Amino acid sequence: MSDSQTGSGEQPIYEQVYELLQHYNREGRELRPETDLNAELNIDSVAAMDLIMEIEDKYDIDIPINLVADLRTVQDLVTTVRKQQGAA
Amino acid sequence: MQLTTTSNDNLPLRVGVFDTLAEGLDYAARGATGCNFFSERGRPAHSLTYREIRERALDLGLRFSASGLERGARVALIAETRPEFLITFFACQYAGLIPVPLPLSVNLGGREAYVARLAAMMQRGHASVAVTSEEMLPMLEEAARMAGIERVGSYSDFAALPYQGGEIRPLNKDEPAYIQFSSGSTSLPRGVMVTQHSIMANARGIGQHGLQLRAGDRATSWLPLYHDMGLVGFCLTPAMAQVSVDYLATTTFARRPLLWLQTLSDQGGTIAFAPTFGYELCLRRAAKVEPGQYDLSRWRVAGIGGEMIRASVLQAFADRFADCGFDGKAFLPSYGLAESTLAISFSALGEGVKVDEVDQEAAARRDLALPASAKRAKTFVRCGRPMPEHRIEIRDARGKPLSDRHIGRVFVSGPSLMEGYFRDPEATATAMPEEGWLDTGDLGYLAEGELVITGRSKDLIIVGGRNIWPQDLEWAVEKIEHVRAGDVAAFAVPDQDDSEQVVLVVECRLSDPAARAALRREISAVVQRSAGVSCEVVLTRPNALTFTSSGKLSRAAAKADYLAGRISDLDGTLEEGVYAMAVGAE
Repeated sequence: MSDSQTGSGEQPIYEQVYELLQHYNREGRELRPETDLNAELNIDSVAAMDLIMEIEDKYDIDIPINLVADLRTVQDLVTTVRKQQGAA
Repeated sequence: MQLTTTSNDNLPLRVGVFDTLAEGLDYAARGATGCNFFSERGRPAHSLTYREIRERALDLGLRFSASGLERGARVALIAETRPEFLITFFACQYAGLIPVPLPLSVNLGGREAYVARLAAMMQRGHASVAVTSEEMLPMLEEAARMAGIERVGSYSDFAALPYQGGEIRPLNKDEPAYIQFSSGSTSLPRGVMVTQHSIMANARGIGQHGLQLRAGDRATSWLPLYHDMGLVGFCLTPAMAQVSVDYLATTTFARRPLLWLQTLSDQGGTIAFAPTFGYELCLRRAAKVEPGQYDLSRWRVAGIGGEMIRASVLQAFADRFADCGFDGKAFLPSYGLAESTLAISFSALGEGVKVDEVDQEAAARRDLALPASAKRAKTFVRCGRPMPEHRIEIRDARGKPLSDRHIGRVFVSGPSLMEGYFRDPEATATAMPEEGWLDTGDLGYLAEGELVITGRSKDLIIVGGRNIWPQDLEWAVEKIEHVRAGDVAAFAVPDQDDSEQVVLVVECRLSDPAARAALRREISAVVQRSAGVSCEVVLTRPNALTFTSSGKLSRAAAKADYLAGRISDLDGTLEEGVYAMAVGAE
């Protein structure tokens, strides 16, 4: 999918997710879709659970543990939110 | 949904007095108690009486047998907190197969590390088949391929195996019960061989002596079922004592810890355990809890185990939830380890946390735990006396038993001891250097017959109640570009609140500061992915790490050098705060 096809639909989600991530972004890094949650934001296992919970509550979705294992970047997070919204 | 009753009307309570797990479940199935599973939002999701668990386990057991699995074959299963885990575990008991619970622990982006861990365990356990839920199946399949296991499927795949009648031949009292992987590093996991005899002895000790179970008791647990405290304490012991259990998944607790208290309150739970960390997590989220929001007055045993017990956190928990009816006297410090099935000692019921203040100097320099009340005292928690039929000895480096208040290596004996590590005679010989005695690797002393733990086997890191083996972190970091084997040492230093801060010391040959910054980020990312913890990264000059004469890395030396300031960071960014706190806590 190219940006032009999905741009308007995805943009708000990215911004919402960036907003949620600000709390974990202690070094004030610039957030991009390819930002690595581990390497760049240094989210540990407890913080990861908080983040997942916030996302679940915000979008009223469940993110099962098997999907957590594949969440490396901001983009992965957004893709998962969309997928789980579709599944709900 | 109808939850299982708290006690049985017409079935006398029998605690751990069976020959086998199968026989114990047969008895529990005559009553109406059982297991209840709550959703991620704390709502009842599944409820099964022990009778239903038994029926489904018998059915699956017959299908297992008909599928040509040899007696004693290992069945690997991911220990998710769901009915299918219990059913499959007991199906193995009925079919003469040995279940091997595998961990369910995934970090953000940690797929690769997790799959490798599963594969190593299945390989060490020589598993013949592997089973899990639909959701976890892709990862288990990947791990099974790595481990060379052909038969892997979901619970429903196995439940659909052809049923050809046949006979049930449960594991008998002289056979194994299951293999528990909770020891050894990820790369070299060790499977504790628990026998029918040892699990029953432990369930009896826990139920009759430690908790003194009685009619009206109800257990509540979020503990992982691949961990001995979860599996033995809150699955097998309740089943062997006809006690109903209310389960929350571990991930549910991690995300919403207060659901634990909510469930205890709603269902009238009387027994729940956690490492200190579990109580701490509740405290951290307690800001919005109203006075009396929960009714914790029926919670008569609030057990603590699994990591060094921190009295200050427990006190804070008791203070915070006093207005919900929580009584600090309910705290029950305990000690145990998987090599002894689970439990070794319990403090006395109804006494709460008893601390021992000892002279820090005498403890550090002379291995003596002398009572002290001065400011220089160090506080330890008493973990009580050994269960009946079990013994504890404190020994010096030469194996000679020590008298009261001398700090040494904790040795234990009794009917709960494992038979050994599965197909690992070398590791077994190290852990059990003498017939009938286990070297726990922990340090401690006895005071008036009560065990006090002062430290753990020296290298193990425990963060948030989880064991982390330093070599796993070191190996993961050594795979990074610019890092060579032997360049890395991982250890933990005390944090300000007595929990642990992981430190990675890495010898670094990069002269470009930008390259060093990138390496630093990469190292913390790798540590996050493999163990889910933050760490402090110290990049230091080559040859800063000490090796023993046999060529083994000395983590103790690296830690001492770090604490003494002899290992310094090339960029001078050593966090002064952590350093100062660590030194202060020494």
